Amino acid sequence: MFAQVCAAVMACGGGWVVLAQAPHVLIGQPAPDFTLHAAVGANVRLGEHRGEVVVLSFWNGGCGACRPQLAALDRSLATYASAGLAVYGVGVDDDPVRAFSFARRAKLGFPMLLDPQKSVGRAYDVDNLPMTVLIDRGGTVRYVLRDYSVESEQLYLRQLRALLNE
Amino acid sequence: MLHTPVVICAAARAGFLLSVVLAATPLGAAPPAGQATPAPAAAATVPGTPATPPPAAPAADAQASAAAGEPDTRGLDTEVQGLKKDAVDLNKDLFILEEELLFPANTQVAVFLSMDVGDFFALESVQLRVDDKEVIDYLYTPREVQALLKGGVQRLYVGNLKVGRHELVAYFNGQGPNERPYKRGATIRFEKGVGAKYLELKIEDRQQKLQPEFVIKDWE
Repeated sequence: MFAQVCAAVMACGGGWVVLAQAPHVLIGQPAPDFTLHAAVGANVRLGEHRGEVVVLSFWNGGCGACRPQLAALDRSLATYASAGLAVYGVGVDDDPVRAFSFARRAKLGFPMLLDPQKSVGRAYDVDNLPMTVLIDRGGTVRYVLRDYSVESEQLYLRQLRALLNE
Repeated sequence: MLHTPVVICAAARAGFLLSVVLAATPLGAAPPAGQATPAPAAAATVPGTPATPPPAAPAADAQASAAAGEPDTRGLDTEVQGLKKDAVDLNKDLFILEEELLFPANTQVAVFLSMDVGDFFALESVQLRVDDKEVIDYLYTPREVQALLKGGVQRLYVGNLKVGRHELVAYFNGQGPNERPYKRGATIRFEKGVGAKYLELKIEDRQQKLQPEFVIKDWE
């Protein structure tokens, strides 16, 4: 389980040990379909967005890095929405009230979905928050980012542009 | 169980056809220039029949491409289209066979949902319980609701039930008049005999009461 969840251990020449994140199990697989309630607005079904590049960001009301990460996604949506990008935040929170208030206060340009049963979180094998899943126009999971930093945002933008150009 | 070999055989055929289609799809892998298939427009005329002038543009194209030494891929393209059609037809047959195996006609129960007008009710979700057991909780998106309002009928649930008396309860959630949260239930007790059973959930507007109405109809 440890090997699946976080790291693969690789021995290097001088006796050093490097921990590298294992690739996500869903990469290259069809994205699991779902329908979820939005905190504000209408219900959303993933399957209706075939033909668009879809970004799912899993968040939690108590996650400190989720707020700047969602703001970064909002900026990317403002830039690339006309190129066929759809972004959704998926809240996996034990406390539905906290999730709802977090989603209402976020004031983002994309729907914040609520997954109180965590069925979507389980389907996407969420093992870290924030976690971002990039799905191509054919509905296949192509990239999964499991953290947020300036470097990972740059990587996200490169991957996003590659998918939008396909 | 007699269907099982048929399904496996059909699946193998579908897989083979799909692999052929996928292998043949890149038209860049066409035969070399010298082996180009003749264009249909360039076929010889039958002796004794009046020589009708062939369509000018395709023939001219074929001659031009032949003259330029480029392979004519139209025949291959037609073949690929035919194979794709065969694969789609086989997929349809497989789907029907799968349905027959999973939901045999003598135990099948199917529940359909339809909407009429929808001025007094905006559908958001439907929960179905059969014999006090939840079988489906379906969330609707605006696109699905629009499709229902245009006259679409959705097969909401299909399952198996044994012969005898059963109870179906449907809970409808959404927004009612004045955009207020609205939840209503409808119940039907039905007799499941030998043969498939079809039930329809109908959401209608009751103009006199200015309220939505939820009806479960038994298709005899």
